[in-house]
Amino acid sequence: MDAFSMGLIAAMGALATVAGASEDIESDVGSQSNPNSQVQLAAQVGNPHRIYNKAISGEPPANALWAATAAMVAYTLITAFQMPALFALVAGASVAALFNGVFSMSAYFGRNSSQRRFNQWVYLDIVRYTTPSIMAHAWITSFCIATISYIMVYMLPIPHPFPMPIIALIWGLAVGAIGSSVGDIHYGGEREFQNRQFGCGLNTMLSGQIVRKAEAGLRNSIDNAWFCTKFGGPATGMGFGLTVFLDNWRTTVFDPVTQASLAIAMGIFFIIVMVVYNLYIEKSARRKYGPYPEYKGDIAA
Amino acid sequence: MSVGGAVGALSALDPKKLRMYGLVGSVVGIYLGALLNSALNTTVFSFIGALAAIFAVLMGANAVRRVCAYGIGTGVPSIGMLALGMGIIAVMFGLSVAEALGFGLLGPIITLVYAGVFGYIIGVIANKVIKFNIPIMEEGNSDLSMAGAMALLGWSFAISGTLGYADILKDVLMTGYIAIIFIAGGLAILHPFNANLGPDEKQDRTLVNSVMVSGIAMIATGIAAILTQGLAAGLLQLVIGFALWFYFFKMYYKLVKRDAAAVVGTGLLPPTVQ
Repeated sequence: MDAFSMGLIAAMGALATVAGASEDIESDVGSQSNPNSQVQLAAQVGNPHRIYNKAISGEPPANALWAATAAMVAYTLITAFQMPALFALVAGASVAALFNGVFSMSAYFGRNSSQRRFNQWVYLDIVRYTTPSIMAHAWITSFCIATISYIMVYMLPIPHPFPMPIIALIWGLAVGAIGSSVGDIHYGGEREFQNRQFGCGLNTMLSGQIVRKAEAGLRNSIDNAWFCTKFGGPATGMGFGLTVFLDNWRTTVFDPVTQASLAIAMGIFFIIVMVVYNLYIEKSARRKYGPYPEYKGDIAA
Repeated sequence: MSVGGAVGALSALDPKKLRMYGLVGSVVGIYLGALLNSALNTTVFSFIGALAAIFAVLMGANAVRRVCAYGIGTGVPSIGMLALGMGIIAVMFGLSVAEALGFGLLGPIITLVYAGVFGYIIGVIANKVIKFNIPIMEEGNSDLSMAGAMALLGWSFAISGTLGYADILKDVLMTGYIAIIFIAGGLAILHPFNANLGPDEKQDRTLVNSVMVSGIAMIATGIAAILTQGLAAGLLQLVIGFALWFYFFKMYYKLVKRDAAAVVGTGLLPPTVQ
């Protein structure tokens, strides 16, 4: 281990933190993934809305596509035309963002026009001002992840044996999975159902009864991005940043060939620490907020 | 469907017909491209592989639509990934067996047969062991596996320019371009139904969407082909892909305007209909 590779690991951790945050906000602006089911359901239970409905598979495959596209374009430009890495990565991320825009728009158009019988309209102003915001966040995510794969393949003292697009695909899947499990709860539980008691869970009766009106005017997806930037996005960034940093740290400090057992033991140690810490967080949250009051039967309207 | 013309014709396609179009179109396309490339000693005709993949994608998207109509809501992305997962095994098996037998050109046929049988077995397992109990699961999985395999093969050919196992290994797998084919292909098969999910989903709109996404995948393979085949072949593919995407995106928007309750510039919440 030398100072240079430690610096690269730190840079990768920082890039991953940014990628995680922007990934979560990108999915929240478009209501992708888990919270999407409630947005989809809202019109069907009689609540047509003005919230973006970006159903591009789950987050993991979608982000894998953006990241792999960015890495593929960057790899082509670097290998075929010997372009500077930074320029190639920026060009790749731009292509990925354009792909993202097309997929987002087609999902918004398609999902809403498939709800004709519930009178869910297609609002073109929402497409015009929300899609660029989604694309911008996708640009940041795919740029950061393509850069991480570039560092892993071309700059680390022990380069990764896989080609760049495949590493980007795997990190894209990872950031999507982490964003889907860490950040989306903040949007789904606390934004779509912000008028319910904190921690009450989602009663089946409430399915689709999402908040459609904002502090002023009608709720739109840009408001949701503003809300999720406060907690969901940074939490996802922490999650993904730590994953990338700790994982690469243990294989940089310990040589993966000669000290493999130490690197594996370090990984197991991290897992144990995380499990204990999570247990502590959950226990302290339950202690502070107490049990949710018992169900007392339906309240007459 | 009241709207006539090319758009109306798409809506009447039944699965058997679409399967025939998908299989024949993709196999003939891949062979046509391979023969033209090797006969004229060029790589310019590689784009035909990407066009052939569109037929396979259409068949796959329709299979997703049929299987998922049984209420697999969140399983739509998974089934698309499953299709490509089955497909990639079939492609590697078919090409390597054909190479080992000494008949490189037999690759697509072996791939197709293997994919069909493999998909059917996965379908039987899904129904009998995991107990999905979806009547068309075996047929649907067989379709999906064949569609995934032929789409992957078409795009792999579009990138490498030959059907040789060693060339595809060098140009598609070792460069990592398999990543983009895999994920763009998966989305081309799963995104159409996923994006149009809902009670008023229409077959023609879903299929037009699948051609549009295939156009995007063709843009991606075109960029990759710039490295493996040179600027001319790559750019040709890229431009054709863009043209396809543009045309079918416009057609898709037209269908959205036809099917949506209303397409408005802006407005307040629509009145509730229950």
